[in-house]
Amino acid sequence: MSSLGGVDPCMHGLLALLIDPQQVRSVCLADWDKIIRLARQSRLLGVLSYRIQSHPELLPQVPGCVLGHLRSAAAYSAHRTQVLRVELAALAKALPAEVPVVVLKGAAYILQDLESARGRLPGDVDLMVAYDDLKRAEAALLGAGWAAEEINAYDQRYYREWSHELPPMRRPGSSVELDLHHTITPVTARLKPDTALLFTDLQVVEGKRFLVLHPQDQILHAAVHLFQDSELFANLRDLVDIDSLIRTHLHSESDWQALAVRAAHHHLERPLWYALRYCRAWLATTVPDALPLAAPPAMAIRWMDWVFPRCTLPRIPDRPPPFSRRLAAQLGLLRHQWLRLPPALLLRHLAHKGVQSLRPRPAVQHKAE
Amino acid sequence: MIAANPRIRDLPPGLLAQRFSEASVTLDYGAALVRVRTLLKPFVRDFQRVYGAFFLAEEASFADFHTEVCSGKGLRAIFGPQSRFLIDGIQPFDPFPREQALPHFEWGVNWCFGKRFNQHVLLHSGVLALGDRGVIMAAPPGSGKSTLTAAMMLRGFRLLSDEFGVLCPHTGQLWPMLKPVALKNRSIDVIRAYTDQAILGPVYGGTRKGDVVHLAPDEASVDARKLPARPHLVLFPRFREGAALTTRRLPSEEAFARLAFNSFNYGLLGQISFNAVADVIDACSAFELEYSRLDEAIEYLRAMLSESTVAAAAA
Repeated sequence: MSSLGGVDPCMHGLLALLIDPQQVRSVCLADWDKIIRLARQSRLLGVLSYRIQSHPELLPQVPGCVLGHLRSAAAYSAHRTQVLRVELAALAKALPAEVPVVVLKGAAYILQDLESARGRLPGDVDLMVAYDDLKRAEAALLGAGWAAEEINAYDQRYYREWSHELPPMRRPGSSVELDLHHTITPVTARLKPDTALLFTDLQVVEGKRFLVLHPQDQILHAAVHLFQDSELFANLRDLVDIDSLIRTHLHSESDWQALAVRAAHHHLERPLWYALRYCRAWLATTVPDALPLAAPPAMAIRWMDWVFPRCTLPRIPDRPPPFSRRLAAQLGLLRHQWLRLPPALLLRHLAHKGVQSLRPRPAVQHKAE
Repeated sequence: MIAANPRIRDLPPGLLAQRFSEASVTLDYGAALVRVRTLLKPFVRDFQRVYGAFFLAEEASFADFHTEVCSGKGLRAIFGPQSRFLIDGIQPFDPFPREQALPHFEWGVNWCFGKRFNQHVLLHSGVLALGDRGVIMAAPPGSGKSTLTAAMMLRGFRLLSDEFGVLCPHTGQLWPMLKPVALKNRSIDVIRAYTDQAILGPVYGGTRKGDVVHLAPDEASVDARKLPARPHLVLFPRFREGAALTTRRLPSEEAFARLAFNSFNYGLLGQISFNAVADVIDACSAFELEYSRLDEAIEYLRAMLSESTVAAAAA
């Protein structure tokens, strides 16, 4: 396996277990200690748990203390999944029946009961409506008790003008945050998929009030999310999602060809190319060699191979990160913002956030829990 | 069996501090192993007293939780010094004054169990045992549960836990989660007056729960930390000044609801916890107990836990 950016050797162990749970036979207790921590950091402990527990014959090979953590993560993921289902049911009631509503990402995997959802620890609910329906959907949610968290005027403007979603909303008493989108990438972003095409090929989920993206758009959305939209660090989970969606949705050579064509249509060849590169290298995803996808320039690939693993892979936090990792984090962050905002706006945004960071602010809640 | 390994109280303080600085202190709570790293001297001093009967786990290639107690950032390392609790590099709550590093650590470890230990049903209860016959004492804060728990240990019951009753849903057994008993406010003086055998840590004044003192678990409880107990009795104790000892047998459905809803993760575990708590209620008799004199309550419980009485009560 190449290009893991000098991470802890146990990172290989975690990836090997995600690819092939049979590997539990060769993991020693000291390695389990680290593998569990790395998996938890990247919100993958539940997925790892599901994949191992799908092979009951392997369980006697897993030390009791390790099995405990796997069971704990499975229980937590099952609970959060149930909470999300309840939230979707409440949303189905609250939203006007005539507005088509698309469920994105994790909540969509749950709605479709995909393999990708098994053991996955879902985060927020992401919904998408056509831009023209946005005000109506927002009003219906506010009327049904959802409320946006208090944010300052600048952040309000950031969301409304430059982002692709409204400020996050929440139903009182609910632990699930709702992001209401009108497209899948920020309106200011460099990578802009064809929103009309997204809406043209929406899929009905049998027996549900909601729609989901076309399977190939689900893969492309996950890819663009990983490289442009998501939080930047320890988001190996997004790559695992992509791998899992590929295994679920792509069955033939022609499916792969169609994916490449669709990526070109959405101008998302670059994120797809990189996603496939790291899926193949880290998660042993089977990717056909002859895809009509243009490779990025060699320098860009080398740059990405240096930055991406250092930002994406989790690490054991017992010591401060090495200089190379901190540098990669800064470069990654810069690239991330570069992709999201045009230069003038980026400069303005960084200046604003820079000034803000000098002021005291309230403690941040830790999402990892 | 007492290992050749010395108890923590018998270690030279310098050696203990060194082990802490190397992150080679792994504490065995029974159900969980917790690795701790720290450079804070006040913490090591207080720790050695209230964890005195414990051992440093020798074979510790695995720990359930990796924690650190460290000083405040920047100038807070010098002015108004603080302690911070970290689990896997995450700081789940605000810093404490440095002198309160130990209660901070205790709450931090509770946070780890409460958030990341859902392989067990975590009952909010004290658990004690005679042999392998366990009593689960569940009660809301302020009902004197910790005081009774402490007094029972001091009268020879084996302490399994004060806060987290760890019920394994696969075996139905109660696992020790053996931590110092946190005595608050009035119960501190009650236990001081009760016996001079109690090993107590320093008084931490003005914490968010008022004054707190930790009672060190005794050697017998520490030595039995790997021995689970079977649930035999479920008790809902309530201290009332001047009350005569009275008990009321609870119908199963009431006992079930009170025990289940006193659990940290009952809702999270869904069917798993429903079945586990139902099995406990099936196997146990459940009582409400009102008392004012500790020894009277303890003798009653000792009688209740003797096998014949439990069998007769269940019949």
